[in-house]
Amino acid sequence: MRIKQYIYASLFLASGALTSCDDILDAPTISSTDESFVFSKYDLAEDAVMGILNSFGEQNSYRGRFLVYYGMNTDMEWWGATDKYDKKSELCNYSPTTTNGEMNTSNNAWAKFFEGIERANLVIRGLETYGDMNDPNFRQLLGEAITLRAVYYCDLLKAWGDVPSRFEPITSETMYLPRTDKDSIYVRLVLDDLKRAEDLVAWPNETTVTSTTERVSRAFVKGLRSRLALYAGGYSQRADGTIRTSNDPRLAPEEMYKIVKEECVSVINQHCNELGEFEETFRRLCNDNVEAGHESIWEIPFSEGRGRVLYNFAVPHDTKDAHTQQNQGGDLGPTPIAFYKYDPQDKRRNVTCVPYKWNEGIQVPGEISSWYFGKYRYEWMENRIVTSDNDDGVNWLYMRLGDIYLMAAEAVNELDGPQAAEQYLKPILDRALPAEKVTAYLAEATASKEAFREAIFEQRGLELCGEMLRKADLIRWNRLSSTLEDTKAEMMQLLNREGKYADLPDEIYYQTVTDTPKLESTVWDSEIFPNETVEIYGLELGQTDAEGASLGYVSHDKWAAKDDWEDKIIGLYVNNPDDYQYWPIWQVFIDNSNGVLVNYANYQ
Amino acid sequence: MNQKSQIKRWAATLLMSLCCLMAFAQGKNVTGQVTDPNGEPLIGVSVQVKGTKTGAITDFDGNFRLTNVPEGSTIVFSYIGYVTEEARVGGGNKPLNITLREDAQSLEEVVVIGYGSVKKKDITGSVATVDADALVAVPVASAVEALQGKLAGVQITTTEGSPDAEMKIRVRGGGSITQSNDPLYIVDGFPVDNISDIPTTDIEDITVLKDASSTAIYGSRGANGVIIVTTKSGQEGKINVNYNAYISVKKLADKLDVLNAPDYAKWQYELALLGANSQEPNPSSFTKFFGNWQDIDLYNNVDTNDWQDIVFGRTGTTFNHSLSINGGSDKMKFSFNYSHMDDKAIMQMSDFVRDNLSLKLNVKPTKNTKLDFSVRYAKRKVSGGGMNEQNEVSSSDSRLKNAILYTPFPVAGLSDESMSGGDTDPDFNLYHPLESISDNDRRQRRETLNLNGSFTWEIFKNFQFKTEFGWDTYDNDDNRFYGLSTYYVKDKVTDTADKQHPAIILTGTERNTFRNTNTLSYDFEKLFAKDSPHHLNMMVGQEYIIRKEREMTNTIHGFPLSYDADDCFSLTTQGHAYAVEDYYSPNDILFSWFGRVNYDYDSKYLFSATFRADGSSKFAEGNRWGYFPSAAVAWRVSAEPFMEGTRNWLDDLKLRFSYGTAGNNNIPSGQIVQSWQSVSTNIYVNGITSYWAPSKTMYNPDLKWETTITRNLGLDYTLFGGRLNGSLEYYWNSTKDLLIEFPTAGTGYDTQYRNLGKTENRGFEATVNWVAVNKPNFGLNFNANISFNQSEIKSLGIMNDFTAASGWSSRITGDFLVAVGGEVGQMYGYRNDGRYEVSDFKGYNTTTGQWELRDDVVDSSPIIGTLRPGSMKLKDLTGEGLVNAEDQEVIGNANPVHTGGFGMNMRVYDFDLSANFNWSYGNDIYNANKIEYTSTDVTKYRNMTTEMADGKRWTNLNPDGTLCNDPAQLEAMNANTTMWSPYMQNYVFSDWAVEDGSFLRLSTLTLGYSLPKSLLSKVKIQNLRFYVTGYNLFCWTSYSGYDPEVSTRRKTNLTPGVDYSAYPKSRSFVFGLNLNF
Repeated sequence: MRIKQYIYASLFLASGALTSCDDILDAPTISSTDESFVFSKYDLAEDAVMGILNSFGEQNSYRGRFLVYYGMNTDMEWWGATDKYDKKSELCNYSPTTTNGEMNTSNNAWAKFFEGIERANLVIRGLETYGDMNDPNFRQLLGEAITLRAVYYCDLLKAWGDVPSRFEPITSETMYLPRTDKDSIYVRLVLDDLKRAEDLVAWPNETTVTSTTERVSRAFVKGLRSRLALYAGGYSQRADGTIRTSNDPRLAPEEMYKIVKEECVSVINQHCNELGEFEETFRRLCNDNVEAGHESIWEIPFSEGRGRVLYNFAVPHDTKDAHTQQNQGGDLGPTPIAFYKYDPQDKRRNVTCVPYKWNEGIQVPGEISSWYFGKYRYEWMENRIVTSDNDDGVNWLYMRLGDIYLMAAEAVNELDGPQAAEQYLKPILDRALPAEKVTAYLAEATASKEAFREAIFEQRGLELCGEMLRKADLIRWNRLSSTLEDTKAEMMQLLNREGKYADLPDEIYYQTVTDTPKLESTVWDSEIFPNETVEIYGLELGQTDAEGASLGYVSHDKWAAKDDWEDKIIGLYVNNPDDYQYWPIWQVFIDNSNGVLVNYANYQ
Repeated sequence: MNQKSQIKRWAATLLMSLCCLMAFAQGKNVTGQVTDPNGEPLIGVSVQVKGTKTGAITDFDGNFRLTNVPEGSTIVFSYIGYVTEEARVGGGNKPLNITLREDAQSLEEVVVIGYGSVKKKDITGSVATVDADALVAVPVASAVEALQGKLAGVQITTTEGSPDAEMKIRVRGGGSITQSNDPLYIVDGFPVDNISDIPTTDIEDITVLKDASSTAIYGSRGANGVIIVTTKSGQEGKINVNYNAYISVKKLADKLDVLNAPDYAKWQYELALLGANSQEPNPSSFTKFFGNWQDIDLYNNVDTNDWQDIVFGRTGTTFNHSLSINGGSDKMKFSFNYSHMDDKAIMQMSDFVRDNLSLKLNVKPTKNTKLDFSVRYAKRKVSGGGMNEQNEVSSSDSRLKNAILYTPFPVAGLSDESMSGGDTDPDFNLYHPLESISDNDRRQRRETLNLNGSFTWEIFKNFQFKTEFGWDTYDNDDNRFYGLSTYYVKDKVTDTADKQHPAIILTGTERNTFRNTNTLSYDFEKLFAKDSPHHLNMMVGQEYIIRKEREMTNTIHGFPLSYDADDCFSLTTQGHAYAVEDYYSPNDILFSWFGRVNYDYDSKYLFSATFRADGSSKFAEGNRWGYFPSAAVAWRVSAEPFMEGTRNWLDDLKLRFSYGTAGNNNIPSGQIVQSWQSVSTNIYVNGITSYWAPSKTMYNPDLKWETTITRNLGLDYTLFGGRLNGSLEYYWNSTKDLLIEFPTAGTGYDTQYRNLGKTENRGFEATVNWVAVNKPNFGLNFNANISFNQSEIKSLGIMNDFTAASGWSSRITGDFLVAVGGEVGQMYGYRNDGRYEVSDFKGYNTTTGQWELRDDVVDSSPIIGTLRPGSMKLKDLTGEGLVNAEDQEVIGNANPVHTGGFGMNMRVYDFDLSANFNWSYGNDIYNANKIEYTSTDVTKYRNMTTEMADGKRWTNLNPDGTLCNDPAQLEAMNANTTMWSPYMQNYVFSDWAVEDGSFLRLSTLTLGYSLPKSLLSKVKIQNLRFYVTGYNLFCWTSYSGYDPEVSTRRKTNLTPGVDYSAYPKSRSFVFGLNLNF
């Protein structure tokens, strides 16, 4: 009797025991899925590629942080703040601290770039394992993932020098990686990854995918490969603080120039992109026109309500007006001497350097120390008006044909001499200057390889001002410190009205254009906004106060008040820029690195 | 699992058992009266003929009547709280009058512990209880509220004043850092998420298990303590009907004073001058809204709005009533409860409704089997968005600031525009206080249904098998409306067509939990001789819990402009679906084995040991199983022969010690594999509506159990016939392998859950109850408890410290420091050093228009902005003459030194009076409101609180409307002012905003009157009591904000004690009645 009852009880418990094997504790994920599913379906795989791009837009990533600060200060561009010691300025004036208030956050660009790289690594592994590589659509996706990874690395290497090298998804073993000599990453990107990606993706407009500048095309892969090759073959600061070119024979300058020549020339000869008018390129950008085949080759596709291109870069609107409901812009701008580097007839000058801002719906001149990038204008938006307080949604123009031409000219000059290179510089000049000035300029430039180099130095500055490429150019040419020293000196000349600025008027004179501007004035709008556009006299070399006073304009005596901007000039760089070519790795990442990341000696 | 058919089968069994019959026998009639030692009749005493089913219950006069009692049989009189008596039925017809003695020691009382119960005198662990009497005496909305201040070692904080405010419960501090420290809640054996939905009238008692020897039986989930709620079951005997009702009225308890109209205007003028840094009077930023300085007198007589009164000033009312019916026979007992609560809160557009229904049946179909079945249903509706929320889009949507800082009188261009379409001056950035409430409207509806059934079979004597099945379903709808003034609509709605249109987010959460527990217990009584001092029993069991969760989020943008919250919720098709996310969490499965042995020798030497093995699906194979052993010993010193001499005054003295482990797996499920998720929100790139990406939290296949070791030393005492009793406890808990959401930024993922670090909690607790007087018409007793807890972070793995941001302002980052050697809740900021005086400056430089600081004076400008006399001054801790981010340190601690409560109960004839106090001592409050209400940051046109009233704040304003830059004059003007100038570039968190949060609150004061029984018995009423209770009548504190009991930034565990935009507390009076028949 009792035995029987024991058996009953045991059976009850045994029912539990039977289920006690570990299987009962398996709880697979439900609302998420694994790689094999995502990467065997084109639509899902495409969305995974979009996941890579998304990291550009995350808060404190490219949008609003990297974009704004990396690239400052140069001879052409500088940070507009007045206090040289504030957290934003120090990112630009070669004195950042590891605990910088703008950057030292766990969601900074550093983290988000590695997030993008990890996503790219997962996509690449997924596509290689599960994707149909005979299908051109899958090949396009793989090529895009490889290229986007290179974009992240490109900016990481520029801003931080040696960084951890991650080309495989993270595992417990690879969670913490030390810095890797950047040369090895360049070797991988230039000689391996991008070469492979070229053949995977289509030319612009060759497929539906590449009919927009928001997707990676073969022209972009080639352009990016060229840009990276120039960086890889150029000078830069090394871990020990010295500045030199790479010791790796694979990255020898000549080898790199060969790649640049081959790639850029092939893009130019493909004729899948057109230069068009200089101003048109930026109007298109501000208008969110992403049709492929024009000058733009690839843009970071910030969504309509995300991205802070105009927010930071545009000609500012102090108050909301008919052109924008976002009163922002003007955080950075061209240096005051940039305007004077252009030929007065150079069509690029007034598109690039703007001396006014918008207040209560009209343009009013600001101060000599605060010029603005005219390439980015709220008023050029035709189809929409920005209403968000924080973001404008304009794309970031990452690569355009003008850059390709200049890279081609530079590489061909180095390999084959100025005569061979001339054909690649000429189209850039043709759309900027009158024909006779182009001829004269080229005659001087082709006199020697050295002279052509100087022309490239100058033209890249004039062409790409405000596109945040100058600093990296100066570094690879090993001209960063010397150029900034010259810039400081020249700005002091402008301040003191010395040298070529000796005869500049003391004041400027302006009025709002009601009908047509006077011939003596300078106007920055190719299409006048009646009762909004400002015309200014007194900015051009050779103009006089006497004539200015006679025009009947309002005089603006605060334009060049000396006291206000001498400190800014001094603050162009605080330390020797060559000692601070890189930002430090922010403290939060040093702290999170399990002791494997260390900053260079100057940041310790 | 086919739970439905299971339930059907049981329902059938129950029906059959209802048909059981009562048996009758032949004999004589016996009558009599049962009284207490004072001669008072005892009502409801069970009178039973021993060995038969014949029985009765005493009536209102204590009388009973039994029929057909065989002569010579024994009658048993039993009554809870009294010693059971027996009497033989004699030959005559003399009434059988019995006096029952009070069981004063209450040591025989049974206390519910995990998977069983034990007599109070045999408890070896640290266990605290609150019984129904204490819960019902004071009418409170929830079980948690009722516990406040009543239990040593259990700290309960009401985080704000809203009717649905979260109550934060910490048992002995809590060991986790980033993860929840909430205790495990068990209701009738079933684990639930919270107990705030259970009306107090439903509760039989609440037990809190504090040390590991008690909680280890719950294994993995017991590390932060276990709160066991037992709901009321039917009582054998006549049907008992209880009706309780109350209404309450409440008013805002406290208001903050703001500047009056002329002072507001005057400050705006000075602020405009400072902003322009100009010598010219009448700066345009002032004149465009307020006219010229010369006309400022106009504001002396302007009518002002008391926004706090408009928003929170209404009289709140609550109506609450509950009905419970219970009764039954020895075969079947039932208990039915219904309660309803309707609460209109003090804040506009805020109310709360709750309905509860429960039914419990206990059936004894045969002599050795038992069936128990219970259903609990709760429905809760909360309307209104409150003042802030934890899952906020941005703290800029917090509402309280609008009620404090909005223009006190209408200002054309500032206050009028904002009423019509969500636009406001960007520098003002405030919205009409009522608009901000309606633009952040919210409806929450929650329904929970819990079904439990168990079958107990005593297979043979002392050998018992019990199987329990339970099913719990939780259904929560959270409908959130975002109007035009919200940050969400302004920033997150990105499609051009939907911009500046109302939006809603509807979140539905559905959670189902199924549980099956099987236990076998055996009492080894038979093994020992009948009078053997050895007692041994053991229990083994097995449990399986599976929890499934699904969350459905619908985001709809672009509603017509005229739509309010209700329009949007009911007409969802009028907007554009932006995102639909239906997310199924991985199942959370727990499979466990457990066992317990209790042994005592003559109730003098007690020993108990438990062991539990838990397998959790949250961990990968190899790390799944956690083993949690514990043991406890106790020595009843008073039972020793050498204590013989003390027997006349010392009833009981017990010394206990326990040591044990408990675990924690409190992390989201699905952390052991990296999976791909589709994301359709926060899209930053063009051309897509969703993308696939791995989670930002990196997977970690090596995760394992977090383990807490507790050591507990306790002393229980009962003196003077139970008139004085209590306990003293000391504990030392250490938690290792902490599950921490570890920052891994820079690797490619933001965080990863890891096991690392170690924390410790040590503390001391004391409880005392004293029955001072216990006479028929006069009783007086006191109770008090106090708890000290000190926690320390012993290790954070590879880190030494990290900061956490409370996030009330995006410009204040890292205002809490988590550091080795410290504890969670350390506030991190600057040291305030008053203000800059004129003498701190060399003088005013007219060329630059700046005041020049003396070289030997610390420069706070990196934090405060451009300095001039009167600017706030901070201390330079690093000594380099400049105040920057390096000059922050720990400036406050949210953890109290001790907390506790005390109470008094008195009865005089038919009146009763009780008072309950609770306190907290030594904790700091981070008064973020105060910072926002006294500094400008980057804003303009905002009002301030009177800490910055004219005459108190530094002034820079000459009577002629110019900025004073003359040193002597400036000094003279400010000779009597004490505060710095509110003008600064940023909000600054300094120790000025850290305030002592100590308080002593008279939480309830109740006066009741029970109608005389003699009167009531005529209308068949057992008990009728009327009472009035005052809540929150006094709060003694030096805290300057609304209420010192506050914690509004609860998104992470790391930022407690912040007072920012809390829903203000109210003071209320309750009028109610208890009716029992």
